[in-house]
Amino acid sequence: MTPRARAYAQTEILHTNGNFVERTLPDVWAGAYAQSREQRWRVLDMMLSSFADFAYAFDRDGRFLYANQPLLSLWGLNLEDAIGKNFYDLNYPDELAERLQRQIQDVFSTGGKIADETQYIGPNGVLGHYEYIFSGVIGPGGTVEFVAGATRDITIKKNEKEHLVQMEARYRGLLEAAPDAMVVVNRAGEIVLLNAQAENQFGYRRDELIGQKVTNIIPEGFAERLIADGTRTAAEALAQQIGTGIELIGLRKDGTEFPIEIMLSPLESAEGILVTAAIRDITVRKNAEKHLAQMEARYRGLLEAAPDGMVVVNRAGEIVLLNAQAENQFGYRRDELIGQKVTNIIAEGFAERLIADGTRSAAEALAQQIGTGIELTGSRKDGTRFPIEIMLSPLESAEGILVTAAIRDITVRKNAEKHLAQMEARYRGLLEAAPDGMVVVNRAGEIVLLNAQAENQFGYRRDELIGLWVTSIIPEGFAERLIADGTRTAAQALAQQIGTGIELTGSRKDGSEFPIEIMLSPLESAEGILVTAAIRDISVRRNAEKHLAQMEARYRGLLEAAPDGMVVVNRAGEIVLLNAQAENQFGYRRDELIGQRVTNIIPEGFAERLIADGTRTAAAALAQQIGTGIELIGLRKDGSKFPIEIMLSPLESAEGILVTAAIRDITTRKQAEAHLVEKVEELNRSNEELEQFAYLASHDLQEPLRMVASYTQLLSRRYKGKLDSDADEFIAFAVDGANRMQRLIQDLLLYSRVDKKGHELLEISSAGALQKALFNLRGSIEQSCAIVTQGPLPVVAADEIQLIQLFQNLVGNAIKYQGHGVPHIHVSAKKNGGPMWQFSVKDNGMGIDPQFFEKIFGMFQRLHKRDEYDGTGMGLAICKKIVERHGGIISVESRPGQGSTFNFTLAATTKKP
Amino acid sequence: MSIEVLLVEDSPGDVRLTKEAFREANGEINLHVACDGMEAMAFLKHEGSYANSPRPDFILLDLNLPRMDGREVLARIKNDEHLKTIPTIILTTSSAEEDIVRSYQLQANCYLSKPVQLDDFEGVVRSINDFWLITAKLPQRRDDR
Repeated sequence: MTPRARAYAQTEILHTNGNFVERTLPDVWAGAYAQSREQRWRVLDMMLSSFADFAYAFDRDGRFLYANQPLLSLWGLNLEDAIGKNFYDLNYPDELAERLQRQIQDVFSTGGKIADETQYIGPNGVLGHYEYIFSGVIGPGGTVEFVAGATRDITIKKNEKEHLVQMEARYRGLLEAAPDAMVVVNRAGEIVLLNAQAENQFGYRRDELIGQKVTNIIPEGFAERLIADGTRTAAEALAQQIGTGIELIGLRKDGTEFPIEIMLSPLESAEGILVTAAIRDITVRKNAEKHLAQMEARYRGLLEAAPDGMVVVNRAGEIVLLNAQAENQFGYRRDELIGQKVTNIIAEGFAERLIADGTRSAAEALAQQIGTGIELTGSRKDGTRFPIEIMLSPLESAEGILVTAAIRDITVRKNAEKHLAQMEARYRGLLEAAPDGMVVVNRAGEIVLLNAQAENQFGYRRDELIGLWVTSIIPEGFAERLIADGTRTAAQALAQQIGTGIELTGSRKDGSEFPIEIMLSPLESAEGILVTAAIRDISVRRNAEKHLAQMEARYRGLLEAAPDGMVVVNRAGEIVLLNAQAENQFGYRRDELIGQRVTNIIPEGFAERLIADGTRTAAAALAQQIGTGIELIGLRKDGSKFPIEIMLSPLESAEGILVTAAIRDITTRKQAEAHLVEKVEELNRSNEELEQFAYLASHDLQEPLRMVASYTQLLSRRYKGKLDSDADEFIAFAVDGANRMQRLIQDLLLYSRVDKKGHELLEISSAGALQKALFNLRGSIEQSCAIVTQGPLPVVAADEIQLIQLFQNLVGNAIKYQGHGVPHIHVSAKKNGGPMWQFSVKDNGMGIDPQFFEKIFGMFQRLHKRDEYDGTGMGLAICKKIVERHGGIISVESRPGQGSTFNFTLAATTKKP
Repeated sequence: MSIEVLLVEDSPGDVRLTKEAFREANGEINLHVACDGMEAMAFLKHEGSYANSPRPDFILLDLNLPRMDGREVLARIKNDEHLKTIPTIILTTSSAEEDIVRSYQLQANCYLSKPVQLDDFEGVVRSINDFWLITAKLPQRRDDR
């Protein structure tokens, strides 16, 4: 038995058996029955108040006999206050109160029940929906004693229901309004719902389709998808289709087919899961797709054929398409790039431009780029970079807006631009670096361009001059030359000036003026023909010209005043200038010689010296002649020749190097020289003859002399004492004479041999020569106990044999002419301030009377009697000859009784000074 | 054994002096005289009147001779196989360097200048005697008529 059943059973028992109550009813009830009515009443109240619903009772007049707690809470009253009140008292709206009242009356009269709904705004202000039931309670008399009522709050349920009704209406509305056909299919594949579009699409009326199998309109592809089979449930099957557009074929009522795309979504319902299919007629789309495919093919063709690289990029910045040119440009294969970020090939500048940011949409961003060529840098696969220009254009596609970029490799153009910029910079550099001021003037005579030099020249800043009339800096002579007048156009006017240097006056900012020379040249430009003027400040040149003119005048004066003839010759060998002396010398008038070849007056030796040949320039040729007096022959106008000496000096001039020749008539000098030469030759000849004679004489005399001397000596030896004393004396004289003659001849021979048999002068030791001489004199040195000393003796240029002879004679003399003491002889040498050494042979002998100083060096000169001092008298003559042959001088210092010093000079070296 | 010496000298005075000097120096010397180069060659080659001339132990040769001068004689002697072994002494007045050089070039055995003084001349002759006949060794004379 259920607890309820038990409770009912117990209630039955309640009516019949009080005792049973005590044993089986719960305590409360038991308590209530055991106690007073009031207790029982309270328990009932508690019970009725435990329901959420309202429970209450009315009397016939609609006055509340009871209301449970929930209803009391709604009213905000307690029971005592509520009892006896009717709906009007409780401030129910009149209409409602009336209705309720009436219904109560009905129940009282019929004894039945009335159920109804109502809305009611309670005292708490909340609107609620309620359903209520009034039920008459029949008493023991069989009549209605009171009406019991119960009210349930159905607000939520009502709302729900209303909501549902709303939703159903809305859904129905959506369904009907949907552009796509909507068909709802149940699990059996039967159409349960469809909308007007579906009716139109398939050509059916609604009622023709509802309940039909969906395969009637979608023969294949739909129903199968929904069927639960052994491998999956319907829910799973469905789940696989949700969200995907499925392309199928629709079948119209008239039997025609058309392409559709269906999108499925589940719909829970009381009948189970239904499937809503949104059906789209994709005929147009299909055509469009076909068309698109065609276009795509065509487009792809165009893309491939395009000369530029074409790259299509989607909004995510990924490459979706590219052509062969792009492959080549970037060095990638197509498949290496598709899907890659475009930043792989265009690192910067492209992707950013496509991005929608807070200030603009992708479309706006793109729109800004359309049509403009944007210069960026492309990155090749090998890592190299190259300049590119891209042109963007949008491409609408199913995937959204794509961007087509036409990419042009502008390396060449960039190089050309760089080159152009370089050229421009160079030109500008040239302009600025030009040593001359450069000013560019337009046809109106306004300065449009100038360089730093021009700024300096005129003392203006660049910005001060640009736009100014050129007359501001060149007041006269420039602007006029450019102006077109009735007789010529500007171009012609200009043409007349091109190439010529024009001397004008420039005007500086500070007002000072200075001489300028301008050279004009035309310059074509977009603004028409401009004139470039190269401006040279010729102040210095002017001064130089003035100075030069002065110098020229002065020079001319000097030239005319010169004692020598002066002739100035140019590099071509032509006489450009001459003075009066030259006119006299050559017997020409000035004008007869100017412009003539100098060879007319100096046939040989001059012009050639000036000529540049393969081995030297004119300057070098000239340089060789400068300073030296050159002897040549001059040719007079009358044809006579005369000897001249010329001295050349260079003269710089504007025409190049000129040569000035100072010409001296040396006729008399030449004659004197010739005369001298003659005389010298004569002397030499006679000298030579003399020497020859002396040599031969001495040589040939030797022989007979030997005979005489030898035989007289033999005679003397053999017959001495054998003949009388006269004979002895005669023989003695003869022998003596022969001997003397022999010695004389020997000395003469020696003397004559000094030059004839002399050897070449070599640098020898004079000390060595002295030693040899002393060796030769050892006999007489020993005999006389002579003491010979010497100082340091140098190397001299000498013939050694002759130097020995010289020392031998002098020392020998010193020993011989001693007198009565011991000979002390000192030989020394010193430099006498020039290239010669001065030797001294000093003795302490008898000395020489000064009156004989010269005589003793003559031939055969003796100062003593024969029996006093022997000698041929040739010794010193031989010494003199030797010394003179060596280019020296011999002399003597002496005093009678005070010794003698013989001095002679010899050269230190064989080199000519 | 006597010593045969050929003196080639044109000056009779010089010949006598030389003779006297050699007589003083060495009495054993036979002094033969030729007064020019031709005679000298004839003597040496035993030609004509010199068919029986002895081969000299040494020759004294003056340079300045008429007809054929001493230099040529010297050359001939020194180019002749038989004669070149005879010591040929130039005895001349010349002391010129070129004469000395030439003589030695022509293979003269010795060159002597005749001193001017008699005493000195006698000294030179003594030297010749002392050196060539005493000090120096001469090849054995072989009569080769």
